[in-house]
Amino acid sequence: MSRAQQIRAGICALAVIISAIVLIPTFQSWSFSAAERAAAERDPALAERIARVDAKAIRRGLDLQGGMYLVMEVDQEGMTSDQALDALKRVEEIVRNRVDQFGISEPIIQTQGTNRLIVQLPGLQDPERAKNLIGRTARLEFRLVRPAEEMQSVLSRLDEAFKAAAGASAEPAGAAGSAEPAGAAATPGAAAADSQRAADPFAPLPPLAGAGSAEDEAFYKDHPFSAYVNEDSEFLQQHGWAYYVAEEDFARVKKLLESPAARAVPVNLSLQFGDKWATTRSGKKGRLLYLVNAQAGLTGDRLQSARAEPDHESTVYWQVSFSLDRRGTSMFGKLTRENVGRQLAISLDGQISSAPVIQTAITQGQGRITGRFTSQEASDLALLLRAGALPATVTIEEERTVGPGLGRDSIRQGVTAALIGALIVVLFAVFYYRLTGLVATAALAANVLILLAILAQFGLVLTLPGLAGIVLTVGMAIDANVLINERIREELRKSKTVRAAVDAGFHNATRTIVDANLTTLLAGIILLWFGTGPIKGFAVTMSIGIVSSVFTALVMTRFFLELMARNPQRTKLSI
Amino acid sequence: MELFRESNIDFVKMMRGAVIMSLLMIAAGLASLAIKGGPRWSVDFTGGTVLRVAITPTPPAADVRRVLAGAGYAGVQVQESEYQGAAGRVHEFIISLEGKDTGKDAAEAMQHALTAGLPGTTLELRSIDAVGAKVGGELRTAAANSVFASFVVMILYIAVRFVFRYGLAAVVALIHDVTITVGLFSLLDKEISLQIVAALLTLIGYSINDTIVVFDRIRENMRFRRREGYAEVVNASINQTLSRTVLTSGFTLITTVCLWLLGGPVIRDFAFCLTFGIVIGTYSSIFIASPILVWWAQRQVVDKRRPQPAM
Repeated sequence: MSRAQQIRAGICALAVIISAIVLIPTFQSWSFSAAERAAAERDPALAERIARVDAKAIRRGLDLQGGMYLVMEVDQEGMTSDQALDALKRVEEIVRNRVDQFGISEPIIQTQGTNRLIVQLPGLQDPERAKNLIGRTARLEFRLVRPAEEMQSVLSRLDEAFKAAAGASAEPAGAAGSAEPAGAAATPGAAAADSQRAADPFAPLPPLAGAGSAEDEAFYKDHPFSAYVNEDSEFLQQHGWAYYVAEEDFARVKKLLESPAARAVPVNLSLQFGDKWATTRSGKKGRLLYLVNAQAGLTGDRLQSARAEPDHESTVYWQVSFSLDRRGTSMFGKLTRENVGRQLAISLDGQISSAPVIQTAITQGQGRITGRFTSQEASDLALLLRAGALPATVTIEEERTVGPGLGRDSIRQGVTAALIGALIVVLFAVFYYRLTGLVATAALAANVLILLAILAQFGLVLTLPGLAGIVLTVGMAIDANVLINERIREELRKSKTVRAAVDAGFHNATRTIVDANLTTLLAGIILLWFGTGPIKGFAVTMSIGIVSSVFTALVMTRFFLELMARNPQRTKLSI
Repeated sequence: MELFRESNIDFVKMMRGAVIMSLLMIAAGLASLAIKGGPRWSVDFTGGTVLRVAITPTPPAADVRRVLAGAGYAGVQVQESEYQGAAGRVHEFIISLEGKDTGKDAAEAMQHALTAGLPGTTLELRSIDAVGAKVGGELRTAAANSVFASFVVMILYIAVRFVFRYGLAAVVALIHDVTITVGLFSLLDKEISLQIVAALLTLIGYSINDTIVVFDRIRENMRFRRREGYAEVVNASINQTLSRTVLTSGFTLITTVCLWLLGGPVIRDFAFCLTFGIVIGTYSSIFIASPILVWWAQRQVVDKRRPQPAM
């Protein structure tokens, strides 16, 4: 054996052996049965062994194991670039904190650009809950509720503002202006009847008036906002009198409050809705409406701990009890001492979950949040409060969720397709090229082995398109062998000796192999730059596969073919 | 065993027929694209939500549509897909809500509506793809840029390795391949998704690969067979590499066809795109790219024979 051949043999053997060693944990990880994995729940030693093996195995993408991929955007409007960067960092930190507390193993949380956060949660059972936990701002605020007289005056200020706005838009808009009162008149009869009481909240319930009467229309025109705000004392969730917006008017009122005319509310005050639908004893349904201080008396920043527990006053609902830090305790003590007998609203992300009346000063720094929570809602809320509020609102811009069932099916189908494809390729290669076909098969097997080992060693993710990339590589890897074999056949046709034909064949084929694979590699690199998630997985396996297939063809195939050609007695090559 | 032993097919002569066939295919695709107002972009690019659920026992699709319409999702498309999963047959409803910036809650709201509206059934979430309008726009730009970039890179690569004229011929073949593939997707009413763009990029690399093998041989032959005409050299080169071209395409096709038929619904269209693309890419390497070189060379010869205007 020549020196060059010895080197080639050594490199091949080394590559294959190292790859096989690197892949041992992967094979172990894949061979754990479902029963073993289930047993690991009770057996910490086994669980640790499995975790250790899994950590070194090829990582499966979210599309194969199920999970959630989220791209979230942080609202940085009005921030300087330093503040924006800081906000993004804090969002990342808090989201990480929340995910850790939620107990998801191996989450990936990373920032992208200046305003985005990418969150990947593998093997997720309840995507909706996870999204709520991750994306929610969770800003807890305690705000004093303003007395009813102030509510009345704010309502009439809003009426004036909306009348002025309607008048201003009606004049230039002409006919279009009349559309709004017409729309208002079309509201259902029940709302129209309720609205009558809004003018005189203490009047008894009037008989139902016919919807759309001229009187109603005039009333709506005169009270464009307060007409939709009703009062009742019979709410199950609220002691005493409460303002509310009926279910059918809720969307309209919400819109009104977002319009510019809603700035008529004094700056030190704020109108906030209850967070859930409330019902009266007589079955009326609506959202409670509160007038609260714009300045929060205390915020969730001062929270020390929070936990979920059953609601003492209810058999079904849960509550969240919290304790405040030292500064929070003294602030809360002062706030409650000075306002005994008033309502203190507990507001979460601008919606009020409850507004209990302060009975006595609370000086121990402890309290509870009730709001008809289920046990899960309460424990999630407690988690959010512990992890802290996001410094800015976050919106989910992209979501890719794969359920565990689809993940399982994808693996099975992908692997089946890959194995059957590879089998047919091998059979065909051996049938077509005989002995050199076997050589090509060996090169192909080494190629896949090396490719998988690189994935495992560098922690790259195997996705379903990635699996397709491996299969495609199998097809392409044989390309190099085909080029070599076709060249050798050509040379043999020129009646060269086997040895000369093999030498000349390699000599001529090498440049073409490198050339041809380089273009596909270039395409792979462009894909790597363009793709995210599963597609990146495809680009990764294809690019690695191309490089390793060139290696196996030029080193391994060459070694075997030269070995066969070395024998001077050999006058024919099985090709 | 050998295919095409010392074949001597006159490909250059078949060029006219090939060009007509290609033009017909391109025209059919473009007509479909024109009638349908462009390719059918998936939510990856338009923004929107695609929800895949399996409901047992499986209700009729009409019920699914009715329940969703009742919940305010009247504009949704409901498609069905049935296949063999790891644990028996799977019957999926693919519910797509396109175009709107549906935000994060549409998938959940539709699931809740289905659970409430189809009592007695259980619902299994298979997947959610929700893309905001903004991200959709960014993905569109990225996809267009990457396809464009790959054309430029391929021209440059071949121009450096060969001469510019070869690069141009190769890229004409590429544009031919991509146009016909996108046209076929329009004719079959299939969506262009991120995966399909990835498949197209792969094809661009793969199709060039075939073309390079032929060009490489042309260059090699030009050194030894100077006395023959350019068309003869090109023809001989195609014939000499024909066995290799058909074989490698054949091997790759085996794997992509397996993926297409057995790989499951998630990558079915991706594998289909690769399969068709490899066929069309191989065809264009033989019948389009190399004949363009001949045509170009002949034109230059004709130009030179023209009487030059007196200066």
